[in-house]
Amino acid sequence: MADMRGKIQQLYALEQLAAGDTPIHRLHPGAKLLVTFVYLVTVVSFDRFQLGRLLPYLIYPVLLMSLSGAPWGLVMRRVALALPFVVLAGLSNLLFDRAPVLVMGSLTVTAGVLSCASVLVRTFLTVLALTLLMAVTPLLELTMALRRIHIPEQLITLLEMTYRYIGALLEEAFSMSTAYHLRHRQTKGLELRHMGSFVGNLLLRSFDRAGRIYSAMKCRGYGRPYRQPTPRPWRWTDVVFTILACGLCLLFRFVDVGLVVGRVIGGLAVC
Amino acid sequence: MFVTPVMMHMADALLSPGVGLSMILVSLFALGYSVYRIRKDHTLTEQKIPVMAVMAAFVFAAQMINFTIPGTGSSGHLCGGMILAAVLGQYPAVLSLSAVLLIQCLFFADGGLLAIGCNVFNMGLCAILVAYPLIYKPIMKRGFSNARAFVASILACEVGLQLGAFCVVLQTLLSGITALPFGAFVALMQPIHLAIGLVEGVITALVVIFIHNTRPELLDTALENKSPTVSAKRVVVILAAAVVVIGGGLSLLASSNPDGLEWSIAGVTGDTELEAQYPAAEAAGSVVNSTAVLPDYAFASDAENPLGTTVSGLVGSAFCVVLAGGAAWVISLTKKKSKAH
Repeated sequence: MADMRGKIQQLYALEQLAAGDTPIHRLHPGAKLLVTFVYLVTVVSFDRFQLGRLLPYLIYPVLLMSLSGAPWGLVMRRVALALPFVVLAGLSNLLFDRAPVLVMGSLTVTAGVLSCASVLVRTFLTVLALTLLMAVTPLLELTMALRRIHIPEQLITLLEMTYRYIGALLEEAFSMSTAYHLRHRQTKGLELRHMGSFVGNLLLRSFDRAGRIYSAMKCRGYGRPYRQPTPRPWRWTDVVFTILACGLCLLFRFVDVGLVVGRVIGGLAVC
Repeated sequence: MFVTPVMMHMADALLSPGVGLSMILVSLFALGYSVYRIRKDHTLTEQKIPVMAVMAAFVFAAQMINFTIPGTGSSGHLCGGMILAAVLGQYPAVLSLSAVLLIQCLFFADGGLLAIGCNVFNMGLCAILVAYPLIYKPIMKRGFSNARAFVASILACEVGLQLGAFCVVLQTLLSGITALPFGAFVALMQPIHLAIGLVEGVITALVVIFIHNTRPELLDTALENKSPTVSAKRVVVILAAAVVVIGGGLSLLASSNPDGLEWSIAGVTGDTELEAQYPAAEAAGSVVNSTAVLPDYAFASDAENPLGTTVSGLVGSAFCVVLAGGAAWVISLTKKKSKAH
C-alpha cells in the first residue's frame, strides 16, 4: 500500500516541479530532449573501464539542477530505484574481472573495481539526466515536441491519456487495497488465490471508467477536427543552450578533459 | 524478498549506443507496424484509444498490487502484458504496454530512455507478438475452459518471459558492460524468470477466468477480432528484420570495442601477465610521473587502451566536478540572495 501511495506522490511531485518557472523550464522542450539524448548516448559510449572520462559529465546535471532548483532528495531516490539490476551487473564485474590495473603500495585495484564503479557512475549520470528532463519539462510540452518529429499521433495521444489516467486508477487500486487489508489479517500483500478476483475487479472498474471517460470526452468535442495549439518557436536562448550543452557532451567524448586538466595541475605542481 | 521482474528492466547504464539505438529502431518499426495494422483493420476507432489508455493505466496500477507466494514468504507482482493482449488484442496491447514502459522510464526511473527500445522488445514484443498469437490464442480459440485458460496463460507467460530474459542477457553482454560470462548470466536469469513466469501465468489465468465468468464479451472481442490474427510467417519476418537491424548495430559496436573484450577475457582467465602484454604501460607511467602529482602509482595500461584511465585523468575530472559544484553553489547562493532582496 505504501508503494502505491509513494508512486502517486512521485508522479505528482515531478509534475509540480515541471510546472516551475526558471530559465531552464522556459527552454524549448525539443532542445532539452535533444540535449538529454546526446548526453545519454555520449555517456554510455565509453568503455566500462573509462571511469575518469565519465566524471566531467557531472557538470551538466549539477549545473542544471542548481539552475532549475530541482531537489537532491527526489533525484537521489530515483537513482536508488534504478540500482538493483545495475548493482548485480557491477558486482559480477568485481567477481569476474580480477586483472590488476593499478597498484598503490599494498593496495591493488582490479579492472572489476574500476568497471563496477564505472557502471554505478553511468547509472547515476543517466538516471540523473532523465529525471532532470522530466523535472523541468511538463509531459504535454514534451509530447508537443514529439508531434513535431512526426511520431504517430495515436501513440502520443495514448501516452498523454495513459499518463492522465494512471493517477485515477492508482487511487482506485489504493482504495480497493485498503478495503481488502481492513477486512483481512494479511498485511504484507494479497493472497494469491484472491488475485484473480481482485485484479479482475480492478480491470472491470477500469473498463467501466473508460466508457465514462469516453462519454465525457465526446461531450467536450473529442473526435471532431480541431486545431492543434501552435508549437512555440525556437528562440536564440534555446539554440545557444543546445549548442553549448551538446558541444560540451561531444567535447567530453572526444577530448579527455580530465587528463588535460590533470596535466595542467601536475605541471603547476612541478613548477 | 520480492519476486519481481526488475531484472527485465534494462537500464541505460548497461547498454552501448549501438545496441540501444538498434533496439529503438526495431521497436519503433514494431510500433509503427502495430499502428498500421489496427488502422488497416479499422479497429482503431476513436473509442479504442481511451480504452487502450485506461487499460495501460490499469496495468500500471495492477503492478503496484503485491501478493504473497504461498509457502515461500516472498511476494511479487503482475506484469500484465498477457492480460492486456487477452482483452485488447495483440496490436493495441503492444501500444498500451509501450506507453506504460515509457511512463515508467520517464517518471519512475524503471529502465532508461536509450533502453526503451530494449524494454519494449523484451517485455512487450516477446510476450505479446510472439507468445500470445503463437501459444495463448490457438489454445483459447478451441473454446473456453478453466483448464485451457491455465495451460494457455502459463505456457504463454513462460515462453514470453524466457524469451525476454534471454534477450536481456544478449543485449547486456553484447553491450560489453558486464564481465559476467554468457553461461553464468543465462543460468542466473532463465531459472528466475521460469519461476516468475509460472506465477504470472497462474495470476493471468485467474484473472481471465474471473473476467470470463463476469463479462465474457471482453475476452471474446479480442479473440474474435480479426486484427490480432498474425501468421507465424509474419512474426518470423518481423523478427528477422529485427535481427538484421540489431546485427548492423552490433557490427559497429564490435569494431569500436575490441580492447574492452580483450580485457574482459583477461579478467575471466585471471591472466596476471597483463603488464607484460602492454609495454606501453611504462610510457603511460612516465607521462604521469612527469606530472609529478602522484609518482608512486604503477599502471598496467597504455594510452590507447580503454583502461588508460590515468590518475591525471581522475584528478583532472575530479577538479572539473569540484569546479561545477562550486559554480552550482555560487548559483544557489546568488538565488538565495536575490530572493532575500
